[in-house]
Amino acid sequence: MKPLNLFALLLFLWGVIWVLTLSERSVRKIQQAYYGTTAPFLKGGSALKLKAERFLDEVENSKDTENRLKSIEVEFVKLRSIEGRLRELERENNEFRAALDFKKRSSLNVIAARVIKRQPSTWWETAILDRGEESGIGLQIPIIAPGGLAGKIDTVSSDTSTMILLTDERCQVSVQVAGTPEVGILHGLRGHYGEEPRLLLRHLSREAAIRPGMKVVTTGKGGVFPENILVGTVKAYTPGTLEGSASVEPSVDFANLKVVFVIANKEEG
Amino acid sequence: MLWYHVSLVLLVIASTILQQFSPAFEGLHEARILVVPLVFLCAAVTVNVGPMLLLAFVCGFLWDTQHILSHHETNQKMLQVYVDSQADVRFGYSIILYAMMGFIMQGIQPLFREGKWHVSALLSGVAIFLYLFVEYMFITFIRGELILTRALFLKISFTSLLTMFLCPPVFWVLFRLADLFHHTIDYEGLKTDRRGFVD
Repeated sequence: MKPLNLFALLLFLWGVIWVLTLSERSVRKIQQAYYGTTAPFLKGGSALKLKAERFLDEVENSKDTENRLKSIEVEFVKLRSIEGRLRELERENNEFRAALDFKKRSSLNVIAARVIKRQPSTWWETAILDRGEESGIGLQIPIIAPGGLAGKIDTVSSDTSTMILLTDERCQVSVQVAGTPEVGILHGLRGHYGEEPRLLLRHLSREAAIRPGMKVVTTGKGGVFPENILVGTVKAYTPGTLEGSASVEPSVDFANLKVVFVIANKEEG
Repeated sequence: MLWYHVSLVLLVIASTILQQFSPAFEGLHEARILVVPLVFLCAAVTVNVGPMLLLAFVCGFLWDTQHILSHHETNQKMLQVYVDSQADVRFGYSIILYAMMGFIMQGIQPLFREGKWHVSALLSGVAIFLYLFVEYMFITFIRGELILTRALFLKISFTSLLTMFLCPPVFWVLFRLADLFHHTIDYEGLKTDRRGFVD
C-alpha cells in the first residue's frame, strides 16, 4: 500500500473512531443542526409537491371538461376550473374541520402539526413534522392522530421535528387489551414490508382470553404515553409456551397521515 | 483534479437533499431509489483510495445524521415497564459500510478505466444489496431475534435493482464533471500486473 493511501486509511479510521464515540448529546446536536439546515429544503419541497399535485388535478379536471363539453364557451371552462379549485378547498376545509373536531373532542392539550414528509429511510419508520421547539415541542412527546396513537417525537430542531411512527420496532408502548386484565408491550414489526401495517403485542398471558376485534389502549405506565388512548384492534392471538402474543391492526391510517397532534401537556385535562 | 473531488463532495450533499424526495414504491415492497449510496458507488470507482474514504466518511456521516434514531434518557419508571432492550445501531456505523462498498467498487477500477462502466453499474447493484443486507443484520444483531422474510429480500432486491438502473445517468454526470475539471482516473493498485494496460 502506498504511504499516502496508508495515511488516508489511518485518518479515516481516526475519524470513524471519533464519530463512533460521540456522546448522545453531541449526536442530538448534530441532528438538530442537520434538520435545521435542511428544513427550508424540506418545507419548500413539500410546498412544491402540493402545488404540483394541485396543478395536475386542475389539468386533469380541464381535460375531462374539454372532452365532455367541447361546444361550451370558454367562460364555462373557466367556471369549471374555479369549481374544481373550490372543491379542492372544500375537501381541505373538511379535512381541517375533522381535525379541529378531533382536537375539540380530545381532552388533552395538543398542538396540531402537518406531516411534511415521510423519511426516506429503509429500516426506520419516521416522519418529519412542520413544528419544532418554537412551538413548544420536546423530546419523547406522544403524538396522536385521528384514530388514536400515532407515535412519539424523536428529534427536535427549532421549526421542525422528527417523529417515530407507532409502526416502528423502536416505538414501544405499554398497552392493555380493553375489557381484559391483559397488559403487554406493543411495537412495530421488523421484516414486514409492503403489507398492511401490523403491530406486535408481546408479554401477554400464555392462554389469554383475547379474541379478534378487541380494542387495545394505552395503560399510561412508564410515563411516556397517557392512558386510555386507542392504539388498534386485535387481529389474531397466538398462545405460546411462556407467553402469548397478538397481532394488532393500528387504528391510525398511516398511509394517509397528514395532520397529527402533539400532546403539549399531559397533565391538562 | 482537486476541483473534481470537491465537486464530488458537493454532488453527495446535493444527493442527500434529493434523497429526501425519493418516494417509496408501495407495490415493490416499499423499495426506493437510494440516491446517496448510488452517487457514492459511482464516484468511488472514479477516484483513488484517499478521496474514496473521504466520500465514504461524508456519505456515512450524513446518512446516519438523517436516519439514526436518538437514544433517549430513560428513568426508573420507564425501565420497570419497558423491559425489552431499546438498543439500536450506533451513530457512525454507516461510514464503515460505505467504506466497505467503496473498496468493492475500487476492485473493478481497472475494468472501469478500460471503458467498461457497465460492469461497475452491475456491481453497484450487488454492492447495494450487500449494504442493505449487512445493515439489516447489524440491526438484527443489536436488537436480537433474527427475522428473515420473503418481503425483506424482495424489498432489498427491488431497492438494489431500482438504484442500479439509475447508474448510467450518474456516470454521465461524473464523466461531464471529469471532463470539466480535467480529471483522469488514475488506477494505482494493480497497474504493474496488467499487461497491455493503456496508461
